[in-house]
Amino acid sequence: MDEEASRTARESLELVFRMSNILDTGLDRHTLSVLIALCDLGVNPEALATVVKELRRESIPESATTIPS
Amino acid sequence: MEDDDQQKTSDLLQELVLRLVSQNPQTPNLDLNSPAFLKTLRYAFRILSSRLTPSVAPDATAIAESLKRRLATQGKSSDALAFADLYTKFASKTGPGSVNNKWALVYLLKIVSDDRKSAINGLDSSILLPNLGLGDAGNGILRGGEAKKKDWSNGVLLVSKDPENLRDIAFREYATLVKEENEVTEEVLVRDVLYACQGIDGKYVKFNSEIDGYAVQDSVKVPRATRIMVRMLSELGWLFRKVKSFITESMDRFPAEEVGTVGQAFCAALQDELSDYYKLLAVLEAQAMNPIPLVSESASSSNYLSLRRLSVWFAEPMVKMRLMAVLVDKCKVLRGGAMAGAIHLHAQHGDPLVHEFMMSLLRCVCSPLFEMVRSWVLEGELEDTFGEFFIVGQPVKVDLLWREGYKLHPGMLPSFISPSLAQRILRTGKSINFLRVCCDDHGWADAASEAAAASGTTTRRGGLGYGETDALEHLVTEAAKRIDKHLLDVLYKRYKFKEHCLAIKRYLLLGQGDFVQYLMDIVGPKLSEPANNISSFELAGFLEAAIRASNAQYDDRDMLDRLRVKMMPHGTGDRGWDVFSLEYEARVPLDTVFTESVLSRYLRVFNFLWKLKRVEHALIGIWKTMKPNCITSNSFVKLQTSVKLQLLSALRRCQVLWNEMNHFVTNFQYYIMFEVLEVSWSNFSREMEAAKDLDDLLAAHEKYLNAIVAKSLLGEQSQTISKSLFVLFELILRFRSHADRLYEGIHELQIRTKESGRERNKMQESGSWISEGRKGLTQRAGEFLQSMSQDMDSIAKEYTTSLDAFLSLLPLQQCVDLKFLFFRLDFTEFYSRLHSKG
Repeated sequence: MDEEASRTARESLELVFRMSNILDTGLDRHTLSVLIALCDLGVNPEALATVVKELRRESIPESATTIPS
Repeated sequence: MEDDDQQKTSDLLQELVLRLVSQNPQTPNLDLNSPAFLKTLRYAFRILSSRLTPSVAPDATAIAESLKRRLATQGKSSDALAFADLYTKFASKTGPGSVNNKWALVYLLKIVSDDRKSAINGLDSSILLPNLGLGDAGNGILRGGEAKKKDWSNGVLLVSKDPENLRDIAFREYATLVKEENEVTEEVLVRDVLYACQGIDGKYVKFNSEIDGYAVQDSVKVPRATRIMVRMLSELGWLFRKVKSFITESMDRFPAEEVGTVGQAFCAALQDELSDYYKLLAVLEAQAMNPIPLVSESASSSNYLSLRRLSVWFAEPMVKMRLMAVLVDKCKVLRGGAMAGAIHLHAQHGDPLVHEFMMSLLRCVCSPLFEMVRSWVLEGELEDTFGEFFIVGQPVKVDLLWREGYKLHPGMLPSFISPSLAQRILRTGKSINFLRVCCDDHGWADAASEAAAASGTTTRRGGLGYGETDALEHLVTEAAKRIDKHLLDVLYKRYKFKEHCLAIKRYLLLGQGDFVQYLMDIVGPKLSEPANNISSFELAGFLEAAIRASNAQYDDRDMLDRLRVKMMPHGTGDRGWDVFSLEYEARVPLDTVFTESVLSRYLRVFNFLWKLKRVEHALIGIWKTMKPNCITSNSFVKLQTSVKLQLLSALRRCQVLWNEMNHFVTNFQYYIMFEVLEVSWSNFSREMEAAKDLDDLLAAHEKYLNAIVAKSLLGEQSQTISKSLFVLFELILRFRSHADRLYEGIHELQIRTKESGRERNKMQESGSWISEGRKGLTQRAGEFLQSMSQDMDSIAKEYTTSLDAFLSLLPLQQCVDLKFLFFRLDFTEFYSRLHSKG
């Protein structure tokens, strides 16, 4: 990446981080960057959100192997 | 490419999982290759692969907007502004290095923040899991959250900054308050009101006779507003009761024949309206139990009908019911045409609803009336058992049928039929009846059906209705035109009305001069005798003789048959002249025109004319004797000069007086015969031509007769002048007798003189006795002539004064023609000068 692109990327990340702070998502910059990359690759955002939610929970149930589709 | 992406994805995912797990305070720091970590990773993969397409439309701005709004409603307006600002900046970043899938990111942020919020609210996480199965996870979570929020907060302010909750609380408090106030639910009240509107008492709403209306019972506890509402709505019930009671009353009274056909029609129309009203109430009752269909499914609604909705539904029936109640009040005492007229007055209303309603009501109510009019106009039938029609018939004699058989009853005349139309209707029906009864004619049925065809209706029933007053008028006009024409045709052709009038004029009004002359000649001497000695048979014989002798014999036999001699009732002192008259017999149907009173007036005129003719006849008689002849002129040479002078002066005076009288009588007769009789007759014939119906004809005839009577000085205003006229006539007759005597005397003298002359010649030898006879003769002649001239003088004086009186009264008369008569009588101003001198 060149200077322009990296600056843009940094600024975008900064904006997104501030937005997510307002919305009180509890995500830090690093996680956010990963999520942004995943979204850009075309992953379903709902699914990503679910992943975030699941992995944040207190305990991971044993029945996680069976996910209703 | 795909593989590359996949690899990147998996790498990134691994990284994500690592970070999230490390952030998670519960799970301890795991290294990459622990089985728990791998399991988590696999789990994450599974989640990702299970849903590949998002369920929300990829519109980043919309999502951002909704986020902003949510922030604003939560009271974090500064945050909302900041977010909006950030988002705009974020969205403006394009080019390499920026986020391409912006909406996905924003959506992600949204969901994560929502999840976090619901997580903070401390919900059981296991409950959340089933929500994952929902298609639109975002909405599902949202809804669940809100619903739980509602249930959760029962008075405890969980989120004190949330004004939505405040509203909810207020609503709930209000609901409990309302429940406390109302014992009765609104549904029950609505049902009761519906019952009340049919006149039935409900459970809580009953008819209260003190206030004369339906109201909620006092014992039931309802708020005052509801009470008032129920009162207003049950006004409909009160009106309904009124109308219904009227209908049942009328139905009860019907057998007693107090309610006529119009009243029945009115009841029928009201019942139709009430059945429509019942239909509406039935529909409302059915609807009362159904809930209102709403667009959103979650909100539950109360029953369809509330009191307010009822008041909207009742607006139109209220108007109609009020109208009906007003009409019922008005028509309680009215019947027949008056009822129809009263209802019609109410129909003059601007509101189209009211107008429509009244029109349909009136159409029903007036149908019996219109039927009656139709049958009267086209058939002359009066089918009116209840006395509701505005034409009443009376049983009268045949000759009075036209004048008095049928009359208008103005009380029953409805206001939408104008008086002139009513007159025409009356006349048409009368004409049909007249034709049927008096003229014995049946051609009017054709005329009637023609009339019906011409005006577009049929002769059958039910052709006309209210609101078609024009059509009715048209029908009546057509029928009237035809039937009148038919009637006049019948009168003129079959019954020869004109010819009869002419005959009356010729005989009763002395139009046929030669006949009158002959009659006078024959009958005259007979009439000088006292009335008791005269027999009417003789006079009838004389009449026949006169007819045969004159041109009257060529007249129609029918008319001559009707001409008769009539001897009026007389006392002992009357002479024939006073009681003689002619009469003309008029039979049906002409006696509607020539009634008794009309004929008596003709008689009066006849008497007057007969007197006038007698006077004229007398004067002509004198003239015959006064003709200068040898007897009077050249045989008095033997008498003394004084006697001769006396004689001459007597003769002269006689002639002068005769001249005056003749002048007067001639002029007066001319006036009567031509200016009065002929002119009136020509006016009358003109009007007869122009007459359109029998009423016109009767009026024309009246006018004719009145004109004759007035102009002949026989009217009421002319009584003084006619008296003076009769005085003049008397004088003339007296003069006639005097003149007769004078000439008789002269004649006798003549003969005596001749005889004495002869005797003298014979008695020449006797000597003085002859001369004595001659002296005696002269003396006698002198005396005779003296008395004669005195009488003549007195007559002359009286005549002059009477004529003066007559002439002075003449200009005071109203009639213009009399002025001409005056001018002619006094054309040399002879009398005026005498008057001014004397």
